[in-house]
Amino acid sequence: MNIKKTAVLFASGAMMTAGAASAQDGELLIGGALSLTGIQAPLDTPGFLGAEVAVDYLNANGGILGRQVKFVNIDGKSDPVTVGNVAVELIDRGAELMVAPCDFDFGGPAGREAQEAGIVGISTCASDPLYSSWSLGDKQFTLSMWNTTMGAVAADFACEEKGWKNAYVVTDQFIAYTKSLSKYFVEHYKDIGCNVILEDTYTNGDNDFSAQLSRLQALDQKPDVIFLSSYGQDIGVIIRALREAGIDAPVLGGDAYDDPAMHEGLGEKLGNDVYFVTHAWMGPESHPEMPKFIELYEAKYGEAPESSFVATGWDTIMLMAAAVEAAGTTEGAAVAKALEEGEFDLLTGKLSYSSAEEGHEPDKAAVLTELKGGKPSFMGWRRPETLPKP
Amino acid sequence: MDFAIQFIINVLSLGGAYALMALGLVLVYGILKLVNFAYGELIMVAGYTLHLVGGSPLPWLVMAAVAVVMAMVAGLATDYVAFRPVRAKSVTAVLITSFAFSTLLQNAALLFISPRPRSVPLPEIFSQSVMIGGMPTPMRDIITIVAAVVLLGLFAFLMQKTVLGIAMRAAATNFTMARMLGVPANLIISSAFAISGLLAGVVGILWIGRIGTVAPAIGLEPLLIAFIACVIGGMRSLQGAVLGGFILAFIDTTLNYTLSQDLLKFRDAFTFSLVILILLWRPEGLMKGPASGQRT
Repeated sequence: MNIKKTAVLFASGAMMTAGAASAQDGELLIGGALSLTGIQAPLDTPGFLGAEVAVDYLNANGGILGRQVKFVNIDGKSDPVTVGNVAVELIDRGAELMVAPCDFDFGGPAGREAQEAGIVGISTCASDPLYSSWSLGDKQFTLSMWNTTMGAVAADFACEEKGWKNAYVVTDQFIAYTKSLSKYFVEHYKDIGCNVILEDTYTNGDNDFSAQLSRLQALDQKPDVIFLSSYGQDIGVIIRALREAGIDAPVLGGDAYDDPAMHEGLGEKLGNDVYFVTHAWMGPESHPEMPKFIELYEAKYGEAPESSFVATGWDTIMLMAAAVEAAGTTEGAAVAKALEEGEFDLLTGKLSYSSAEEGHEPDKAAVLTELKGGKPSFMGWRRPETLPKP
Repeated sequence: MDFAIQFIINVLSLGGAYALMALGLVLVYGILKLVNFAYGELIMVAGYTLHLVGGSPLPWLVMAAVAVVMAMVAGLATDYVAFRPVRAKSVTAVLITSFAFSTLLQNAALLFISPRPRSVPLPEIFSQSVMIGGMPTPMRDIITIVAAVVLLGLFAFLMQKTVLGIAMRAAATNFTMARMLGVPANLIISSAFAISGLLAGVVGILWIGRIGTVAPAIGLEPLLIAFIACVIGGMRSLQGAVLGGFILAFIDTTLNYTLSQDLLKFRDAFTFSLVILILLWRPEGLMKGPASGQRT
């Protein structure tokens, strides 16, 4: 490409930006860098769909601060560099708030760009404590509970509620999420006086659990509960392998279990005695507003939500709306202050944040779900009294 | 003793699946000297077909047969869409078209079905186990071993005893010469893609039988495994691909059994170090295969 052409491209780019910026006074632009393709798509796509429903709902009810809301999401393609570039482009177009993708690895770059531009960014479901104001800056938040909460809820449930005193723990070495979830579970489980009899590791994508099984079967003591922190389809692989080998101890895990295909895949025969901690339950038992959200969702898309992760998208937009209304402006510092000071009642649980010095640690309730005959059922909200240190 | 029996069954069942995957990849490579990067998507197609026919009242074996046929059709489509139009031109062009076709299929699944996994119907027998040497052993493992033995036997018969097989081997050795002697190029190449699809379809069902669900990116792991197995065994040898599959399964299983917890996290590093050592010792892979590796 010659220099002249490049210059023309730059000039036309600048003109487009200028054109977009002038629209700013009317519409409130919320930028999104959610990944609709690639490995993050299963988590980000439901969030995106839920967020669109929330924007329609807000616009039908007067918008935010009397301004209509426009949500523009550019595919982050499950690539951290692309996510960062997309965020920059959206900020150039005049985005006043930023919806960041799930997980620290993918959402982090969008958070950093939002911080740089002085606007508030919220990730829909990053749960690793790395997603904090310590690492990203004082205007960045995550809607999700941290893994400290997820691990502690699981540990309290197993050790205290059910009296399962001896655990076998399997950790998938896939990403920060899978590793830290096990770490916080083990820490809290031991703190409250229970015992881990064996810790084992698994490699995501192996689809072979035989060596781990033979180590488990070689133990003299049988575990009361199996804590399994894995990701994606491998959870189904491992539960299958355990049940086929005749090990029927209850299996416990985090929000990665919240996957209807996995429940269906395990079916009536294998999908029993599985418990998991997650963000939401798609029924009236969890929140009085839930049926209304599901109704709006079905009206927009003509089908029922595929996963409870749709609620994280709705909540992210609604949380932004509530904070901006409270602050009276979209200016970053003011919105961040409103988020730190507020207590929010969301579809994914009651939520309040700690100060920026304390990392914007979310104090949030979690849903406990049981799988019986391949069908999930709601066991209730849990909010642990003490948490392991992040 | 029980331990040894379990270990052997694990290696054989994992190795059987790996060997079939590698064979499907090396079959096309042998003739065209080009890696089909859309190979993993044949497994994906088999999985989604199984998912889509899952609601029907057909017996499971019919569903599985439909899935295998669809994988063969997808194999043939790879030939017609990605290979045939640019085959005579440049190696780079075919590499790119096969990548493009793979991306196209994956994104079609993502857009038209869902980015989230979908469950597939599996017969009761896939979740049963039998006692062997005092240990419960999944029937799935036994089925995989039997399927691998039967398919490898059939394949060996095809390649050694039939005209098609002999023509395919001739084409793999020296394509130009084979064509001069009257071997029809298009037929040979299409047959290779169809057989590659058949192997991918069967191994896809066995592989997905371990998982229970299918997702757009499901073909990535099998493609990688097949590729490494071929590299170990020798890219030009069919026997080498099978051997490579079993060796890779043996290495993985042994490391899984013997490494301590702290080291197990780095298992892939150990596996690939061993692969590098094998390649330093035998740069062409363990089996040499027929003469020239040139594209002819």
